[in-house]
Amino acid sequence: MIATKKREFKDLMENIKDYKSFFLVGCSECASLCGTGGEPELAELKETLEKEGKTVTGTFRAKTGCQVLGTKVELKPFKEHLDKTDVVIVMSCGAGTQAAVEIFPDKPVYQSNDTLFLANMTRYQIFDERCSLCGECILDETGGICPVTACPKGLLNGPCGGTNDGNCEVSPDIKCCWVRIYERLNKINRLDDMKKTREAKDWSKSQKPRALIARTKEEKKK
Amino acid sequence: MSFKDILNSGKFAVTAEIGPPKGTDIKEMLHHMEILRGKIDAANITDNQSAVMRISSIAVCKLALEYGLEPILQMTCRDRNRIGLQADLLGAYVLGIKNVLCMTGDHVSAGDHKQAKPVYDVESVQLLKIVDGMNNGKDMAGNDLKGATDYFQGAVVTPESNPIEPQLMKFEKKVKAGAKFFQTQAIYDIEKFKTFMAHARQFNVKIMAGIVVLKSAGMANFMNNFVPGIKVPQNLIDELKAAGKEKALDTGLNIAARHIKQLKDEKICDGVHIMAIGMEDKVPAIMERAGLL
Ligand code: SF4
Ligand code: SF4
Repeated sequence: MIATKKREFKDLMENIKDYKSFFLVGCSECASLCGTGGEPELAELKETLEKEGKTVTGTFRAKTGCQVLGTKVELKPFKEHLDKTDVVIVMSCGAGTQAAVEIFPDKPVYQSNDTLFLANMTRYQIFDERCSLCGECILDETGGICPVTACPKGLLNGPCGGTNDGNCEVSPDIKCCWVRIYERLNKINRLDDMKKTREAKDWSKSQKPRALIARTKEEKKK
Repeated sequence: MSFKDILNSGKFAVTAEIGPPKGTDIKEMLHHMEILRGKIDAANITDNQSAVMRISSIAVCKLALEYGLEPILQMTCRDRNRIGLQADLLGAYVLGIKNVLCMTGDHVSAGDHKQAKPVYDVESVQLLKIVDGMNNGKDMAGNDLKGATDYFQGAVVTPESNPIEPQLMKFEKKVKAGAKFFQTQAIYDIEKFKTFMAHARQFNVKIMAGIVVLKSAGMANFMNNFVPGIKVPQNLIDELKAAGKEKALDTGLNIAARHIKQLKDEKICDGVHIMAIGMEDKVPAIMERAGLL
């Protein structure tokens, strides 16, 4: 899932101060789990905006806000509300915001969140980053722990000199991922994987912007 | 004799560190070069040490050459991608720089530009492979170079790293990647260092022990608590304490000299790398007390 964090309300206000009426779009997926774009947050932002003297023409929680077509269809019944709206505020991730930009070519779209990372939820509303979408996965060689992400330097060949009794030089709150990888490979009897020299990463594999057509040709025709 | 020839001839080599200053006033640094010239075999020129922005290492290496001090270019992977690193390797070579120390580099969060984007496009092991390739006339992408380099390339290792096994595996990767010499993180426990050396001696590489002068018991405690991979044994801390405030630094110099002498006399390793950290002027005194001058 995608982790998001609410922006300070005053920063959002600064961006939208010139407008009067707003339509709020949340998302039932990641943003709901993060507590940034679910029903309670939609209601809360509506109330706050109204307190500031703004009009909220409607609120809506998309099923999957990053899905452009689906969200567009879901928004059809809200046409009347939307016609009366100056600005759409999206309360999901940067992908959700840009889905809305595509859906509303003639309206300004603002976002209430900052988008952080591809997240694992370890406990309710506690998230950490384990994959940074590098485009060429090496997990099979590293005991299933990703050094591209878990090491602040993204080192591929073992710990740096800063590794400190199992912790990372960058912060005592981070475990040195290469010690974790070492311990895991040791446990699963695959320490030889650690002895292999890994070549530098091919960053062309993650050249932006990326796109993907996952369906087959036949499906496309249909 | 060049640094490479000294190490290869089996003579006990001594290197020290020069940290380029932040700013254009280089008087003090040149003074340090003056003091070290003719005494040490080569000087490491640090590369934005601790991720603090300073004069570039290559520029100061060139100055060192002009001052008659053989430089070891420290090169970290923090600030340049593979294109920048290779361009600088070629550039440094045509300026007459023959030694390079390949390191990953402290993270930007340790330095004075914490908002910087850390690069780490490649890391120490891969940088060593790049140097090896360039020595053989090829860039990293396999393209032919019009004129190869002939670097004497080295790397770093932390013998007191905990846990030690991953560190030793990386050490071996660095050897395979072409490292010819190693300078270690500061060591204080010679007996423990001997264990590391027994392992390192399986490989055909030169090892120079890292020496950092202890200025006080406080500094020793600080390093034990906050500097990764450094362990100052209690007996040395006691020795510094017993010396009292006035004599602590002098005792620290004696400890460094004593360790160097033992490393040399017992032929434990191939040389020492003295990191004086702001006390470059004390290096000759240490060498004298160690019987090296
Ligand atoms: S190597 Fe790491 S960042 Fe790359 S795809 Fe695999 S888990 Fe994600
Ligand atoms: S201490 Fe470990 S996790 Fe931290 S930067 Fe070094 S190798 Fe990476």
